[in-house]
Amino acid sequence: MSAQRRRRLLRLSLSQQRAVEGLIFISPWIAGFTAFALWPLLRSFLLSFQKLEQLVGFKTSWAGMDNFREAFLIDARFVPMFLDVVRNTLIDIPAVLVFSLFTALMVNLKLRGDGFFRAVFFLPVVIGSGAVVQQLQNQEVGRLSIVRSIEGFGTFLVTYLGPAPAMAVLDLLNRLALVLWGTGVQVLLFLAGLQSISPMLYEAARVDGATDWEMFWKITLPMLSPIILVVTIYTLVDSFTSVFNPILMYVRDTAFSGQFRMGYAAAMGWIYFAFVFILMVIVFKAAERHVFYAGERSQS
Amino acid sequence: MAAGRVTGAGARPGQVRGVRFVVAPSRMRWLSVRHRLHLLLGRSFAYLMLLNISFVFLFPVLYLLVTSAQTVEDFVDPTVYWIPTKIQWDNYVLAFKGLFYPQALLNSTVVSGLSAVGQVLSASLAGYGFARGRFPGRDVLFMLAMLTFLIPPQTIIVPLFMLYKTLGWIDTYAPFIVPSFFAHGLRGALFIFVFRQFFRGQPWELEEAARIDGAGALRTYLQIMLPLARPAVLVVFLFSLVWHWNDFFEPSVYLYNQARFTLPLRLNIFYTGLQIVTGAQAGELYNEPLLMAASLLVIIGPLLIYLVAQRYFVQSIERTGLVE
Repeated sequence: MSAQRRRRLLRLSLSQQRAVEGLIFISPWIAGFTAFALWPLLRSFLLSFQKLEQLVGFKTSWAGMDNFREAFLIDARFVPMFLDVVRNTLIDIPAVLVFSLFTALMVNLKLRGDGFFRAVFFLPVVIGSGAVVQQLQNQEVGRLSIVRSIEGFGTFLVTYLGPAPAMAVLDLLNRLALVLWGTGVQVLLFLAGLQSISPMLYEAARVDGATDWEMFWKITLPMLSPIILVVTIYTLVDSFTSVFNPILMYVRDTAFSGQFRMGYAAAMGWIYFAFVFILMVIVFKAAERHVFYAGERSQS
Repeated sequence: MAAGRVTGAGARPGQVRGVRFVVAPSRMRWLSVRHRLHLLLGRSFAYLMLLNISFVFLFPVLYLLVTSAQTVEDFVDPTVYWIPTKIQWDNYVLAFKGLFYPQALLNSTVVSGLSAVGQVLSASLAGYGFARGRFPGRDVLFMLAMLTFLIPPQTIIVPLFMLYKTLGWIDTYAPFIVPSFFAHGLRGALFIFVFRQFFRGQPWELEEAARIDGAGALRTYLQIMLPLARPAVLVVFLFSLVWHWNDFFEPSVYLYNQARFTLPLRLNIFYTGLQIVTGAQAGELYNEPLLMAASLLVIIGPLLIYLVAQRYFVQSIERTGLVE
């Protein structure tokens, strides 16, 4: 009743009124976006072409491309650090994907005690996103469990694979425990995805004489492909914005300690952001051809 | 689980595509034995793998628990690994004092509690708006919202710092709490996404019915949709609480006065202090038990909440419709 009167007062059609309502719901977000994302983003873009002259009163001078030139050509630490982060991430992501899918498949078997396993897999999300994990990492807890428990494994690898591949394998194994530790969210995403696949598909395949192996490749994997994309993106973002990321620590230290080189820090931040963004676009482009969407998706 | 073809329709009499077939009883028994064997092998394999993987996950927690109660002598003694010769409760007492625990705990609770409440309120509003609102530019705005998830906090930390400095928010909790109430803050975009997916999965009829009965948009949201969203609220609240609790980066930039420090900041000071006292090189700290006791004290709050809420939590994630 009151809504009707209001509408008559403002002379809005029903659909216009609905549009206004929708906008009202997201207006806190719009305000927040402008203040806490858009403005800082533009400001930091500007700052990346500037040089901070004086911290008090924040006086800056125009520096042109100097900051970017410094990052690529002068700074001896930035580029190697960058390449290292990229390399580690590219190794970690397939490991995370395979591992969390595997775990989700196991938990999805409806074994007794699956509640316990789910609780355990999610434990790292509770503990594992900050200073405490950093402490554990410092103490090399992550490495204790796998490589050290197999005596002579390292020398075995070097003998049979040669030094370079052996180092790569060992490197992956060394980080594996910590990498796996970050898979709680991914396992749950896959689990939810697995449970949304219609059992009828499997029954039909079974009637046609398909083996479990065939069913995994022909049903489970294609049906999961949208979630694989979600998990890939999540993992990518998570690892690129994690507190352990050396680049991000370097950026912070450049900006806030010693000389407060905020212009240079902003430039490095933007190079990094641009890279993450390009990588994301590549993932989406690559996924476009392979992701399979079952049926019509509801339009809302 | 490699049950194979034998578990197929051939094992049971039935009707496939209108053709009736019956398998001889003797052959059926043979098939079902093989079937069970396959199943048993598959399940044993799954259990073995799951237990193995659980170990990887539980190991650091067990390590934390065990080490935190060890004496330094036990810790450096290679013959003592899991079972300490003597339980050292002093570690906890020292860590309690060293972390300025009551105050830091209160600070952490205030910061993460208020931020979590803010994110639940604002992200659910935004999520509902994006899911059900019909206004021009909605999809573009939603893309922008998701894009904020990709921005590493470090890219915009400098201008944000300047903004908060102008507003006089430096060395207060406002930089954590205020953005949370505007659907930003730590991983705010992810929470909008969770709520949007949840609301998209709800039947339209419910809202239409409420509208026809004369409820306004806000009332429909508050009385019909939000109560339905309990799983999403629980997930977002717990994620937000835990992530804010563990956050080190932002507090380390915005807080100066030690009286306002949260637990992770205190832990960091504690760690650095211990290194100086023991004169150890980085990574070569011998009083690790003390440090582990302190780490345990830092995470005990979220850990207890998780242990209590865990059952509802995990179910809720599956029901939030995070997956399309």
